[in-house]
Amino acid sequence: MSQPATLDQLKPSDLPSPPQAALQILRACSQDDVSSTALSVLAEKDPVLTAELLRVVNTPFFGLSRKVQSLSHAVTILGQRTLRNLVLCLSVRDAIGKDAIPGLDTQIYWEDSLRRAVSAKLLAPYLKQDPDNCFTAGLLQDFGLLVLFYLRPEMALYWDELRGLDPEARLSAEQQYFAHSHTEVITLLANAWDLPEELGQALGHHHDCDNADLDQNQQSLCHILHCADWMNAVFNATDKSTVLNRTQQLLQTHCAMEEDAISACLNTLSEEMDVAARSLGLNIESQPEFEQIMREANVKLAEANLSYQELTWKLEQTLKERDALAAELEAELQLAREIQESLLPKELSDDFPITGLNVSARQLSGDFYDYFVLKDGRIYFNLADVSGKGVYAALLMAKTSSLFHCLGKHIHQPDKLLAHINNELCETAIRGMFVTMIAGIYDPKTGALKMANAGNPPALLFSPGKEVQAIEATASPLGIMPKVPFPLAPDVQLGENDCLYLFSDGATEGYLQEGAEMLGLEGLQQLIMSLHELAPKEQLQTIVEKFSAASATLHDDITIMLIEGKRPHA
Amino acid sequence: MECTTRSENGFTIVALSGEVDLHYSPKAREIILKYLGDKNHVLVDLADVSYIDSSGVASLVEGFQHARTHDLKFALMGVSEAAMQILQLSRLDKVFPIIASVADADQL
Repeated sequence: MSQPATLDQLKPSDLPSPPQAALQILRACSQDDVSSTALSVLAEKDPVLTAELLRVVNTPFFGLSRKVQSLSHAVTILGQRTLRNLVLCLSVRDAIGKDAIPGLDTQIYWEDSLRRAVSAKLLAPYLKQDPDNCFTAGLLQDFGLLVLFYLRPEMALYWDELRGLDPEARLSAEQQYFAHSHTEVITLLANAWDLPEELGQALGHHHDCDNADLDQNQQSLCHILHCADWMNAVFNATDKSTVLNRTQQLLQTHCAMEEDAISACLNTLSEEMDVAARSLGLNIESQPEFEQIMREANVKLAEANLSYQELTWKLEQTLKERDALAAELEAELQLAREIQESLLPKELSDDFPITGLNVSARQLSGDFYDYFVLKDGRIYFNLADVSGKGVYAALLMAKTSSLFHCLGKHIHQPDKLLAHINNELCETAIRGMFVTMIAGIYDPKTGALKMANAGNPPALLFSPGKEVQAIEATASPLGIMPKVPFPLAPDVQLGENDCLYLFSDGATEGYLQEGAEMLGLEGLQQLIMSLHELAPKEQLQTIVEKFSAASATLHDDITIMLIEGKRPHA
Repeated sequence: MECTTRSENGFTIVALSGEVDLHYSPKAREIILKYLGDKNHVLVDLADVSYIDSSGVASLVEGFQHARTHDLKFALMGVSEAAMQILQLSRLDKVFPIIASVADADQL
């Protein structure tokens, strides 16, 4: 058969058609004044159809008390409309042969159609509709889909996919695959077969129940067909629990059914289908009970819940593990911080001339300072800054401060001490890391101070009434080039009220206001002059507080040391 | 930080710009070491560097040390005022070979 590109190009001969006699009965029944004799004459033109009609009429489905022997008798008892419906049902049943669409199991299609028909019949009383009429409409409502596959048999591979969708999703998928829907096709057929307008309208609009062209009666039939479609989907759709919820909503809204009535209705479907199938001569497999469907849906729901719970549980576990690791790391860092602090010198007596302060930007610092008193009363001091930050800087800081503390006890010349430390560091240098350091010896009795500066920012000498004097670095940092000299800076003589300030670059590169420029060397000099009246410890704390107040986090570690000159009373 | 490279006069020129700080210095380090590892003589152009911290300087130091031990040429070029202040303050200007432009690379 040629395949029409669009429905407009379809000829009546392309469509499946009932036998001529059946069509004539359908047409005759659509007129108000047809006589039972005339109908009988029509039916007898097709003895096979007549025999089948009489067989169906005498099945328990029609519940007649005595056997009907002739068509005129059947018309008298059942009425014109029921006969028409019966002919229609048999016509669609036979319109498309069992093997007409390779790859599509028409038996399964008819099982679904029968479930819609039985559902529609059961819903009829809720909207005051004729059950027999609803049954026929239900049997026909998706016949258009079978016709689409009949016209395009190569699409049969999509049948299972379409069947697993809910009615609305299936309608969209039909549009996508066929560029037409089953409602369009059934409208064409209704015209070709001269079906009564009431039926044709309901079949054409059962996905569009609020259409303005529908009268109230047609709209009620549309709602029934729409609900019946969803009731069938409860048994077929892949996502049964969602479809069941939606079906219950629709039945409550359109049929005003209570939950118990809905369950009872769905429960009785399987049994009703058996009766109707026997009556119509349709072969169907044993149908699943609604309770079985419910169990499957509940198991799926439980599985979904379980996997959600598992996911939540795993997430909670992972978060706990993360917190535990973070706490462990925090504890390790805290311990490392304590070890670092232990490397800083203990505060000696109040009148000790050297005060230092170290504030780290992170938990661990790359800065350090140290001082200790030699046997002759002179004080060895240093202030240093390791390049970079974090754990690796802290490790190099520990190594360098140990070298200073250990070697400094034996090498009492700062320039030679720095050369020794430098050679040691160069032996194990990695990643270009280096250390800037000022090391010196101060004699508090005489005020004489010797120091060498390996790449550290200059020391600042403050003398009352004089400009602050910067004593620049005398060599490059430690750890870069082995066997290089670290010359002493010019001797310093600290007089009464003089102060020598040493600091790491965190002080000159700090910010006193967020977004402002770095403090710089000149800024630090001015700050020192403004604070000179304060006690040494207060001076250092005030400087650090000014940086801390400017931003939530420090950009760099800040270390400052202050060496006081001879005191008047000393 | 931005980083571009080009070849000129037998040198690979690695041009850094912007802020070379703790966040970006690993990238600068990786690029400098990659070219030195491939036996290239390297000039690091610091003309557009607005700030360099000690981790950035450490990347330069590592390049300098690597070049020394592998007999390669390594120098800083066209150093910006901001970067030069840091180098001078720490006396590193006495450690690194520093040239004004590629034209001066012959003296290395």
